[in-house]
Amino acid sequence: MTASPYVSLLAVLLVAPALPGIATRTKSLLTGRRGAPVLQLYFDLAKLARKGVVYSRTTTLVFRIAPVVLAAAVLVAAFLLPLDGRAPIFGFTGDLVAFAGLLALGRFALVLAGLDTGSSFEGMGASREVTVASFAEPALLLSLTVLVLVTGSLSLGGMLGAPLAGAWPVQAPSMVLAGASLFMLLLAENARVPIDDPATHLELTMIHEVIILDHSGPDLGLILYAGAVKFALFGTLVVSVLIPRGRFDPWIAVPMLLGGLVVVAVLVGVVEAAMARLRMDRIPQFLVAAAALAGFGVILLLR
Amino acid sequence: MILVGAGLALILAGGLSAVLLRRTPAIGERVFATLVAGGGIMAALPAIATLVDGRSRMVRLAPMAPGGAWVFGLDRLSAWFLVTVLATGTAIAIYGTDYLAPERHQRPTWAAHGLLALLLVAISGVVTSQAVVPFLAAWEVMAVSAYLLVMFESERAEVRRAGLIYLVLTHASTIALLAMFAGWSRGAAELTFRALADTAPAQGSSTVILALALLGFGIKAGVVPAHFWLPGAHAAAPSHISALLSGVMLKTGIYGLLRVMSLLGVVPAWWGWTLLGLGLASGVLGVFWALAQHDLKRLLAYHSVENIGIILLGMGVGALGIAYHQPVVAVLGLTGAVLHTLNHALFKSLLFLGAGAVVRATGTRTIDQLGGLGPRMPLTATAFLLGSVAIVGLPPLNGFVSEWVVFQALFRSGAADSGLRVAIVAAAGLGLIGGLALACFTKVDGVVFLGRPRSAAGVGATDPGPASIGPMLALAAACLGLGLFPALGVGPAVEIARSIAGAAPFRDPALAALDAALPRIAFLALALIGFGVLLWLARGYRLARSPVATSVTWACAGGPLTGRMQYTASSYAAPLLGSARSVAGIRVRTSPTSFHSHPIDLVLDGVVSPVWERIGRLAHEVRLLQAGRLRWYLLYVILTVLALLVYLGRTPAMAAGAR
Repeated sequence: MTASPYVSLLAVLLVAPALPGIATRTKSLLTGRRGAPVLQLYFDLAKLARKGVVYSRTTTLVFRIAPVVLAAAVLVAAFLLPLDGRAPIFGFTGDLVAFAGLLALGRFALVLAGLDTGSSFEGMGASREVTVASFAEPALLLSLTVLVLVTGSLSLGGMLGAPLAGAWPVQAPSMVLAGASLFMLLLAENARVPIDDPATHLELTMIHEVIILDHSGPDLGLILYAGAVKFALFGTLVVSVLIPRGRFDPWIAVPMLLGGLVVVAVLVGVVEAAMARLRMDRIPQFLVAAAALAGFGVILLLR
Repeated sequence: MILVGAGLALILAGGLSAVLLRRTPAIGERVFATLVAGGGIMAALPAIATLVDGRSRMVRLAPMAPGGAWVFGLDRLSAWFLVTVLATGTAIAIYGTDYLAPERHQRPTWAAHGLLALLLVAISGVVTSQAVVPFLAAWEVMAVSAYLLVMFESERAEVRRAGLIYLVLTHASTIALLAMFAGWSRGAAELTFRALADTAPAQGSSTVILALALLGFGIKAGVVPAHFWLPGAHAAAPSHISALLSGVMLKTGIYGLLRVMSLLGVVPAWWGWTLLGLGLASGVLGVFWALAQHDLKRLLAYHSVENIGIILLGMGVGALGIAYHQPVVAVLGLTGAVLHTLNHALFKSLLFLGAGAVVRATGTRTIDQLGGLGPRMPLTATAFLLGSVAIVGLPPLNGFVSEWVVFQALFRSGAADSGLRVAIVAAAGLGLIGGLALACFTKVDGVVFLGRPRSAAGVGATDPGPASIGPMLALAAACLGLGLFPALGVGPAVEIARSIAGAAPFRDPALAALDAALPRIAFLALALIGFGVLLWLARGYRLARSPVATSVTWACAGGPLTGRMQYTASSYAAPLLGSARSVAGIRVRTSPTSFHSHPIDLVLDGVVSPVWERIGRLAHEVRLLQAGRLRWYLLYVILTVLALLVYLGRTPAMAAGAR
């Protein structure tokens, strides 16, 4: 038992709030604005933790407990990823299903909290969120299927660890397709352009932001932090597939991961600067395209 | 086995006492509930013993003409289903006494209790019969008593229609099974299952047997496209009966398919692929159609179609594992199917009982008229929420564990070096099912229990009494228990899967990994709950030191929000159904001032009913010939004789023969 899984988890949990800031800053610079500081989310979190809360009289315990469920689910999901490139804190056969299940549990809680307010805006956001998620789920599983087929392992620790590096020279096309699909999923699951616009100002055009309209204070802080960690987890998936780190010493692999996450955040910023948000009815097509990419990856491996 | 018989006799006695004591319903129902509970526990004990020690417990009754020996018995497979039936059935029977109590003076509730006991015993008979004749007898008693229960509110036309459709289809299923057993038993020494297992049917006849089994048991299980009797019948019955039909009786179809597989021993690949395909179709279409429903109980019924699909996915990949000689895939797939059968029985019964409490409290099943029931019915809402998390397959509840096993079977199939590897693609389908189920149950929970009331229906609602809440909480506790301690369910399920797959006990790293993963899943669940509690305490600590205010929901600078402004179930599902409205079976009527959408069943209302009506019209036209007038009939006779004479005269050979 080495310390590196714990150290890498701590590092990712600490760095996570910087990632949305990097993405936003990149977008600002590319579109000719100065933009908010990279560390803005840290300031926001510190401020929210100190603030009081306002609860709507319509809401029930579901509204209050949802941020906690979301944060706990995302944290436990982080345990399952081999952040140091070798081993997760704990893993087991089929834990990729648990990973997807935990993220879905967090979404389940957040969506119910939105519906708990009785606001039509939040209902609308909830409806859109589950629509996006339903289409994203098969794409995620197809991407993971590529990794299962390439490595023959059913646990995230095995799939993203050492065997992956050996597979690259042989199965490069499938790996690239899976990586691209996972990057598209990262955009969708973390409410980034072209699926959702975190900077939008009109409730009618929001997806993720509108669900949490009524949350305030530490509750909102938990949601924002969990969102940042989820961003980092999807980033880790992308980085681990495209740059297998299993052969490196953990003390090199962890900085590589953090560097990779920064690159992913910059890429997200570039996408946001380069394109506008998709119309609501085009979103399924985007996600079907993501699933198709991963599906081609699977077909290449099955032939 | 004697204990099982005695327990089932007690259940029957309970039903009889409800009938005999109908003048004093309060006493009759108490005696009924006590006897059913006692009998259920008594009959389940030997089944649990069989699951633990693996010993078969059989009893052979004296030969009864003309059916040969009547053999009843418990092997692992029968025991698993018997426990499933009795555990959920007992909870449902107790709930039923409380649920039907308000209707005592309108309808013969005593008959419903008596029939429920009969149905429970019949289902138990189906899963413990080890010979053809008692199996078919119990099957028919089950079908008829279920029909009578569906018709409980027969004054409503929709109930009579649903009952009729159910009756027709259940007999189609019986006929298919009769034909299957008739063909199968031709070479057998006697009509026991053991004798059937000993005859090895030829290639061709085993194909026919498997096809007939798929037809007969598939109709019973509600597999797409033979599902269309199910939503109507399950929505028409009283809620606790719906729970029994949807949670338990459907599983006799699954039991039958597994039994046929274990008796045949070898299954061809086409059968596995067919099961896998039907599983995908049932799963995806079932949940998609569920999303379109406005009626709470029809929605839950469509989810049964979906879950039968998940079970078939597991069974299909298991059958493929047998066909392609991949014992690990076979055992994993069948384990998932068997385990999901129990899990679905628990959470679907729970959800139907919760829906029953909602219907009782509000008087409506229309989701869009409900809302804000959570604070008014906190216990019902909590139990229903737990059931939702379980059915969506999220950790830390039991639905997650069985879907996790099915996923593993699918992923493992990808490692095979044969055509089997294509089955891995079904994992994406199972993912889609999970995503859509999440959408559907956030819709139900959110629209029914959260927010504000949408009409006057739910304003004065309260939780039902302890006799209703108790069974719901017990089922919820079972769902949680099997989620937190997955070894309880997975352990026996693996042994059953091995016995069906005919796999000798073998050591395989993949199965060892499954065993090793179980405590980790428990740890994952506990870590999730532990972190949740920690964060909850930290949040409480923080909020105790900051101002906490209550206000109204943020209305985006608009006026005060009312219940009618909330998103409805239809609007919630609209983006998902989107342009696929026709696939979802949604019919829309619009005018400049109104919008009306109505979900239909594509198979029933789109195909079966029109074809049936066409046949009816044709028959009507034929009736012109049958006018009931003697002279017309005489004319027909003369015309026929003339035609025959002309025919005979024209045919040289015949003419020669006549000469």
